[in-house]
Amino acid sequence: MEPPPPENNNAAALPFETAEKIILRWDSTASEEAREKMIFQSDRQEVDRYLLAVDEIQRSMSSTSISDDHNKLNSALQIAMARLEDEFRNILISHTNPIEADSLMTTDPSSSSRSISSNTEVDDEGTIADEEEEEDDDAAAADAEGDGDASSVSKGNKLLRYHSGESISVSNSSSSYRSTSSIREIDLIPSDAVYDLRSIAERMISSGYLRECIQVYGSVRKSAVDASFRRLGIEKLSIGDVQRLEWDQLEAKIRRWIRAAKVCIRTLFSSEKKLCEQIFHGIGTAIDDACFMETVKGPAIQLFNFAEAISISRRSPEKLFKILDLHDALMDLIPDIDIVFDSKSSESIRIQAAEILSRLAEAARGILSEFENAVLREPSKTMNELIVSKPSTGSRYSGDPSTPDLDFTELEGKNPLAIHLIWIIVILQFNLEGKSKHYKDASLSHLFIMNNIHYIVQKVKGSPELRAMIGDDYLKKMAGKLQQAATSYQRATWVKVLSCLRDEGLHVSGGFSSGVSKSALRERFKSFNAMFEEVHRTQATWLIPDSQLREELRISISEKLIPAYRSFLGRFRSHIESGRHPENYIKYSVEDLEAAVLDFFEGHPVSQHLRKRSQ
Amino acid sequence: MPATDYQGSFLGRISIRRNQVMAMEPNSHEQEVEDLELFQKHVSDRFSDLLSPPSDDSSPSDPLLSIAWLRKLLDMFLCCEAEFKAVLIMDRDPSQMTRPPLDRLVPELLERVVKALDICNALCLGVDSVRNVQKLAEIAVAALEQRPIGDGQARRAKKALNSLITAMMLEDKDGASAKSTERAWSFGRRGTSSTSAQKDRTAGLFRSPSCNMAKNWSAAKQIHAMSSNLVPPRGAEASGLASPVYIMSTIFVFVMWTLVAAIPCQERNGLGTHFPVPRQLAWAQPMIGLQEKIAEEWKKKEKKGSAGLLEEMQRLEKIGQSLIDFADGFQFPVEAERLEEVKTQVEGLADICRKMEEGLVPLQQQIREVFHRVVRSRAEFLDVLDQAGRLTAPTV
Repeated sequence: MEPPPPENNNAAALPFETAEKIILRWDSTASEEAREKMIFQSDRQEVDRYLLAVDEIQRSMSSTSISDDHNKLNSALQIAMARLEDEFRNILISHTNPIEADSLMTTDPSSSSRSISSNTEVDDEGTIADEEEEEDDDAAAADAEGDGDASSVSKGNKLLRYHSGESISVSNSSSSYRSTSSIREIDLIPSDAVYDLRSIAERMISSGYLRECIQVYGSVRKSAVDASFRRLGIEKLSIGDVQRLEWDQLEAKIRRWIRAAKVCIRTLFSSEKKLCEQIFHGIGTAIDDACFMETVKGPAIQLFNFAEAISISRRSPEKLFKILDLHDALMDLIPDIDIVFDSKSSESIRIQAAEILSRLAEAARGILSEFENAVLREPSKTMNELIVSKPSTGSRYSGDPSTPDLDFTELEGKNPLAIHLIWIIVILQFNLEGKSKHYKDASLSHLFIMNNIHYIVQKVKGSPELRAMIGDDYLKKMAGKLQQAATSYQRATWVKVLSCLRDEGLHVSGGFSSGVSKSALRERFKSFNAMFEEVHRTQATWLIPDSQLREELRISISEKLIPAYRSFLGRFRSHIESGRHPENYIKYSVEDLEAAVLDFFEGHPVSQHLRKRSQ
Repeated sequence: MPATDYQGSFLGRISIRRNQVMAMEPNSHEQEVEDLELFQKHVSDRFSDLLSPPSDDSSPSDPLLSIAWLRKLLDMFLCCEAEFKAVLIMDRDPSQMTRPPLDRLVPELLERVVKALDICNALCLGVDSVRNVQKLAEIAVAALEQRPIGDGQARRAKKALNSLITAMMLEDKDGASAKSTERAWSFGRRGTSSTSAQKDRTAGLFRSPSCNMAKNWSAAKQIHAMSSNLVPPRGAEASGLASPVYIMSTIFVFVMWTLVAAIPCQERNGLGTHFPVPRQLAWAQPMIGLQEKIAEEWKKKEKKGSAGLLEEMQRLEKIGQSLIDFADGFQFPVEAERLEEVKTQVEGLADICRKMEEGLVPLQQQIREVFHRVVRSRAEFLDVLDQAGRLTAPTV
């Protein structure tokens, strides 16, 4: 960009005296006026003249040898540099806030929605947001794997999942790392400000004022990052604090940390790195690296300290899953960490992240092996401990505390890995049972259990090694649980529906063929219709992903429903048809019901009116 | 349960100091006593080294509380810790941990250990702030190394050195009373019109929240908490394993205390100077001697209200003040004599910067190493405690 030609001199330079005058005029230690205004907020001409003046001073320095003149030049240069430092700081400060608040919250790369205004809120410790995220992840997994599981069971899925997001390419950088799709930078400072900053940086650095420049940059940007941390809800907890907190509180913090860490690494830190490159690329050696580290080293350490504190907390069984969550999340992030912190000076951060990861893995392994030992020594006591071990919450292990589900005589003779696996499945089941209680509708919670147990059973059956390790006995046990859940479902849903089709209560006198209470009969039909419609409407939207299970459950419903209805109709239809408006009461034929049952568990809503084929 | 059942654990390792894994009762007791005495002697020797290190003309000893000296301290700590672990865990029946007095003493030690971990984190942050000071000093060196020294250089150096001195004051200022602020401003700040701007500038360096630990965290309080319940074993207990536990606890407290005194970290106001170790303990003499020396320095510094005792920082402060005076009264050109003086001081400054450049990052790495080692040892101790059948775990 060419500066506009000054009024009375040649276009390329200012004479020394003019340059010196300009510099002195803007000496902030000398005049009130100089302190009150900022050059870079004045008009463009002023800015260009000042920069030209600085250039002139610099140029003259290399050509003067007379000591007095040299002193004057030096003095002028120092004044100019001090001024530029203040200008630099001012430009940075005035571009610290606006962009971040919005983009940080909404550009969470791990959300499966790609729009900028995504709805993954970084909120406080509600489980709702967590389940939302899990559902998003599940949906993404479903798309990726073509597997329609509505409820992801195995933790292994998370390991395989690849977070996809968009990348915003950089205009002037040649780094290839931005092709990694999970990193998502934003522009922190508008490009005209970046241009100004760069102009200043060039001159400061070529005059030997590199250190001042780095320091100003680092201190302003570091405060900006700190402010973002606060908005992300990243807390500063000491290791002592973490040891003292109850595990449930820590679970919520871990959830929050995972969300925040993703944003930090993939957006916040990477954007800061981009900004450093935009301003300092090509000026001097590795200055952009130095500025980047100056800015993010402290915050990065603060971020990882929490994960570190969790990784060294005392091991106990109930911590296993959250520790695995943390481990998986960190593992997902390691490639991005390696990219963002790729310079030599940031090695310590990469190392710390890797150390925390291995400690978390070790902690998980330790919990498993501790449990194995405990199981071998005192099986039922350990199981009871596990079940009863959380005095302050009823959420996870709300099953019957008196009877463990596992018969430990079966475990004898099994190798440790098999025991681990069985134990994992046991804990999963406890977990599932706890989660199923979240459903208000009891039928749905039974269905949830059915879906998940079936999934586990299918997976085990599908792998000869797993099947050999876990053993058919245990598989039978699980099949039994499945059957139990199915029975519970039947009871929860169909008992009241089928009770409409009973004989009892319909006969007025002791007689058999006459003395049927028409009004009671009409009530029965009405109730049945209403209940069935309700069940049909609701449960058509429920999903049993596995077609075989779906089919089986429908068949077992039909087996009870259809004969009961057929026999009810057969016995009592004449009574209704002899009265008024029979169509209000006998709405459906047997065929209608058979067709309706086919709608169940498809996962689609159906139209309100059942098709009345027999009409 | 016999020790041989623990295959694969550290207890299954065969001690190189003994011929058999399971010695008979009378032998093992003698061995134990020998181990304890050896441990005590080693501790005493190492601290003697630190207190009055052997030196000759070719390799002058490192001054007390210099970066190099602190690194030696940390090395020594790691050695003591390794030996302690060997004494207490290797080839011992883990059920000893569940019997008095260890059933109380070991968990107490582990609680102290957790506090030490937080202190390590605070110290790493502190080393970062020392690095910031180093960078400011480097500006001054760059300015004053130029020949001739002109007005520009003098002003530049003065600006940097004022920021440096301010930073050193500020860092201890969090939570300190207004009185110390006054003290901080009362010297080294004559006639500069940009005082508040400077304060803003350096405030950015040191007030940034990520330079700090959790709110209300206080290094002084942590040290104080660590030294509670530090009571030497008496009578019969003194000849058993309670003794090395006490020794190690004391070492923990001393080393952390020393590091906190030297390296700026959050909230050192009120750092205690009383060391609760009885004088008559022979192995503790060198440690007590060191502690007294350092405590004296600390009290002196506290009165003057300046930053910690790191030897390089103290020298930096002195030279910095002197050079600020020089810059304040600067007249171009500088006369030859004055120039010589300044040259020497600038060389001193450059030397400090060099030492910091070479030593601070390794110091940080060493603190991290201590962190890791301590975490690992704690995990091993917890393992042993669990194995010994303690199902009701202590709250660490």
